[in-house]
Amino acid sequence: MAEERRFRSASGAPIALRRRQHSASCRELAVRGPRLQLRSLSAATSAVWLAAYGLFALSENSVVLSAAIFISLIGLIIYLHFVKIDQESLLVIGSLGIQLTSSYASGKESTTFIEMGQVKDVVINEAIHMQKVIYYLCILLQDPEDPQGVSEVVPLFQSSKPRLDCLIEVYKSCQEILEQRKTAPQSS
Amino acid sequence: ENSPAPLPERAIYGFALFLGSWFGFILYLIWAYVPETWLFSLGLTYWPQKYWAVALPVYLLVAVGIGYILLFGINMMSTAPLNSTHTITDNYAKKQQQKTFQEEAIPALRDIPISEVNRMFFLPEK
Repeated sequence: MAEERRFRSASGAPIALRRRQHSASCRELAVRGPRLQLRSLSAATSAVWLAAYGLFALSENSVVLSAAIFISLIGLIIYLHFVKIDQESLLVIGSLGIQLTSSYASGKESTTFIEMGQVKDVVINEAIHMQKVIYYLCILLQDPEDPQGVSEVVPLFQSSKPRLDCLIEVYKSCQEILEQRKTAPQSS
Repeated sequence: ENSPAPLPERAIYGFALFLGSWFGFILYLIWAYVPETWLFSLGLTYWPQKYWAVALPVYLLVAVGIGYILLFGINMMSTAPLNSTHTITDNYAKKQQQKTFQEEAIPALRDIPISEVNRMFFLPEK
């Protein structure tokens, strides 16, 4: 069962949250950011090429033009492969753990898996980020020595930065599954 | 004993500073504007170079301008990153002691764990 809802990111860009329930204790939540727009791509490319043409007109050196083409190609490839994240998803499996997946625009996917024994809780935290206070969802990892302590904080949805309404939906979905592990029998 | 009220000693300090700063300013103007030959003829030969009469104010203004940017940068560097535990808790909260719960008394002030705060804010459906 899948449903998709539209929200906004912290900077105002439209994002979509897709919720799928695979079973009673397994849920997948995916936040999809806006795709690379053709107008921003052509604007950036035209700006670089105009600047290169201006330099060429000043310096009469044609290397500037080929360097501009090279730079814009390499820059686009690096941007698509390392920077532009299309979709971030969270797969919560009740007895097993939580898997975070980031899919880049070039098709690359990077995943992180956190086993359930290490997860203390999934909370919505507020913090100062670049002259703004933002809400963000994060996984609190258990401190092995201190049962009340938090050893690490793993922020989620860092590139799409959803707003509070979207985060509350994700939070409620995660909490429904995390509550089950308290009532379920402890397995070693 | 530490009130900011005006006192006779404070009036005297203020007046002495006022005279001193005026004296310093007139001295600075004399050093900057009066030609060296006139000063030499009076017998005052050991002055710093007049270059500094312009250089020091410029240094000061540039330092003030950089100070704004520096302070901004230091603030940004000191802000805890999103993945640090300092956004959740700190030493005082970790070491706080739980006071015993008394009936009909206002509960003691304490740092509530973030999980509890989240449950209270976001979970109940009304």
